[in-house]
Amino acid sequence: MKRFQILLAMTLLAVAAGSTAATIEMTVNGLVCAFCAQGIEKKLKKFPATAEVIVNLEHRLVAVALRDGQDIPDADLRRALTDAGYTVKSISRSETPIADVRERLKQVQP
Amino acid sequence: MVRLYIGLCVAVTAAAPAMAKPIAFADGTTVMAEYGAGTMQELQVFYAPRFDYSVGGGHVDFTSDEDEHREHISYLRLNWLAHRWNLDDAQANVFVWGGAGSATGNWFEGTRLTGNAGLQLDYETRRVYASLKSDLQRSSEFSDRIDTLQLGLAPYKHDYGGIATWFVFQARHYTGELHSGIETAALLRLFKGGAWIEAGVTNAGKVQAMAMFNF
Repeated sequence: MKRFQILLAMTLLAVAAGSTAATIEMTVNGLVCAFCAQGIEKKLKKFPATAEVIVNLEHRLVAVALRDGQDIPDADLRRALTDAGYTVKSISRSETPIADVRERLKQVQP
Repeated sequence: MVRLYIGLCVAVTAAAPAMAKPIAFADGTTVMAEYGAGTMQELQVFYAPRFDYSVGGGHVDFTSDEDEHREHISYLRLNWLAHRWNLDDAQANVFVWGGAGSATGNWFEGTRLTGNAGLQLDYETRRVYASLKSDLQRSSEFSDRIDTLQLGLAPYKHDYGGIATWFVFQARHYTGELHSGIETAALLRLFKGGAWIEAGVTNAGKVQAMAMFNF
């Protein structure tokens, strides 16, 4: 019975850890048109660690949802955005689910 | 009528939108087709291995509205983004291009080697857009240059995934006896994702239209 409880606890912990995939948010200069967004999205989706990309022109924001347990180094992100023709101003990471980021952006739309 | 037209042009010139660029994004293909009020029709296809250059080709037909002489030019071209300024809420670019091709015409025999060179300067925010473009096609028989100024205004700020709308004023000057004077046009431009269409009418009442696809 005790063994079963330990197994159950470990399973719940693993599920909980997996459900909060990390999100990277980047502020980017030069984001003014849909074509900019299209190019950036295409570039970032080439990383195996990328699960989803959000580009928001209003907030000059590019958000990347990471696959569980994976990451993309800042240097690689900066290089990807520079190679796409844009300038990264800041990079931040959080455990905020990408759906929450999308919802937050919707709420602060002008 | 002329005053009404000028008034309309001034109204839509208050600011400017996104202009067609010879390079959309890295690893992107651009297909552009333009119907220039009966004087110029052009089809272009470019592929950009990087964000700062693209290679491809096109075909352009010129028809003079002065004496009906015609030229048909097929060409290969290299486009280069010479400089880009990424500002907080704006972007500005300098593009240059050059290439070579061959031409036929209804007023000379055979084909002629042509050279192509051009320059584009643009500035864009999500509400205003301005660009100046000069494109030269030259051979031993002709020298045709088209200078185009575009100013645009977006009635609202679009975002990725939505439809972008722009009101555009265009002024165009042709050399090579293709058209005398300045041709102006009022255009409506719409784009969403990688698709872009625009259409309008010139001061002579002729249709001006363009479509562009990026993928």
